[in-house]
Amino acid sequence: MAPDEHILNDPDQMHHDPHAGGHATAEGGPGGDEQHAQSVTGHHPERAQWTMGTSIDSEALWGRRFPYQEDLSLVEDVDLVAATPGADINWLEDVDLLQEEGIPAVFDRYSNCFLKIHFPIPAGRENEIARKVLIKHLQSGNSYGIRMKEKHAKFAQPELGPWVANSRTVGENYTPPVLEGWEPPVH
Amino acid sequence: MAAVGERAVSYDARGLAEPNAVAPETAVVDGQTAELDAADLSIRQINLELRRLVYGLGVTDVVVRNPGSKHSLGVGILTRCRIRFEGSLGYFACGLLDGPEVHITGRVGWAACENMMSGVVVIEGNAGSQTGAALRGGDLVVKGRAGARSGIDQKGGTIITMGSVGAMTGFMMQRGRQVICGDAGPGLGDSMYDGTIYVAGKVKALGIDCVPGEWTDADTEFIERKFRIYDLGSPPSFDKFVCGKKLYNYDSLEPAERKLVL
Repeated sequence: MAPDEHILNDPDQMHHDPHAGGHATAEGGPGGDEQHAQSVTGHHPERAQWTMGTSIDSEALWGRRFPYQEDLSLVEDVDLVAATPGADINWLEDVDLLQEEGIPAVFDRYSNCFLKIHFPIPAGRENEIARKVLIKHLQSGNSYGIRMKEKHAKFAQPELGPWVANSRTVGENYTPPVLEGWEPPVH
Repeated sequence: MAAVGERAVSYDARGLAEPNAVAPETAVVDGQTAELDAADLSIRQINLELRRLVYGLGVTDVVVRNPGSKHSLGVGILTRCRIRFEGSLGYFACGLLDGPEVHITGRVGWAACENMMSGVVVIEGNAGSQTGAALRGGDLVVKGRAGARSGIDQKGGTIITMGSVGAMTGFMMQRGRQVICGDAGPGLGDSMYDGTIYVAGKVKALGIDCVPGEWTDADTEFIERKFRIYDLGSPPSFDKFVCGKKLYNYDSLEPAERKLVL
């Protein structure tokens, strides 16, 4: 089983692992690797601080950071106009740089969580950088809610959303889960 | 023995009205463009055919002829594409969009583009009530007039109405922008949490906690950019209205709500 399959098949495991710990380090891209697999299965010593309390950031969901959260140069070439419908930045007009737990962050509505930004943001470019980090996150296929689509989508839809061209279709053959012993009502 | 009035109900976990419908595959496809005659198709058949075209075949430009004011057409399209409806649509047209650029040459019923996440929808005619209800993002342009409660519960995005709008427009608006080139009915922006409403015509009456706002250079840039993009001519002079913040302030409510649940 590939590392990311592990996450998709048991997304709750990381939140209930009593040995969970973690240290936020930037690892891998959407494909994951052995190090990634280790991080999400609970061998980092500090992860408990992410998974308890009221944190709603991406690191709590994934158990790790992504490289573009720590390196401005990885998002500089993101084309916001090309990544959005129409002739301007469309829905990104409503995306601003916010803060979560005192750290600059952008809100990922597709996962209902914050994505913290750990590099210094140049003055006057706060919202632009926040939008670029978010689009990089979405285009990389790392938005946690988007990753749930393969298993849980009920209707046919592109797996990665409108920001990635030619994304494969998921949700075409949804079958509702069956609760053992339950019978549908007569009427 | 079944009692009078009792009947078997076809159960579908997704709540589909035609759970066994399939895409009719009647569209004429030419490369990345396609034409679909919707005259003899059901609502679900039309929507399934649209999904087959844009998801399955990778078509990027679709023309739908004879939509016949059917309801709920073009909903839930979650990819970048262009769709042109030649005619009018019924209620809940083009809801839940995330990515498409849609052109409707006729009119639409109530709640067009509700819950749109991103994309562009241009409606040449009038729109019913609750246009852009709960809009999350993207641009909705109504070249005619819009009914009551336009942009109710709007959470983002931009609604531009070239004509007048009805009562309670912007009711409980939480974010985003409305540009109204005509008049606005009574109760404009009632109980709004945030967001901005621009009105060029007369306002019948402001709603609770909707107050005049201070015009900035960012407002000018925004208005001029949208008018240029959608070829709407020279923008008229607008008055700006915002939330007085005497009632509850939305301010990052969505993340805070989730924290309460955790």
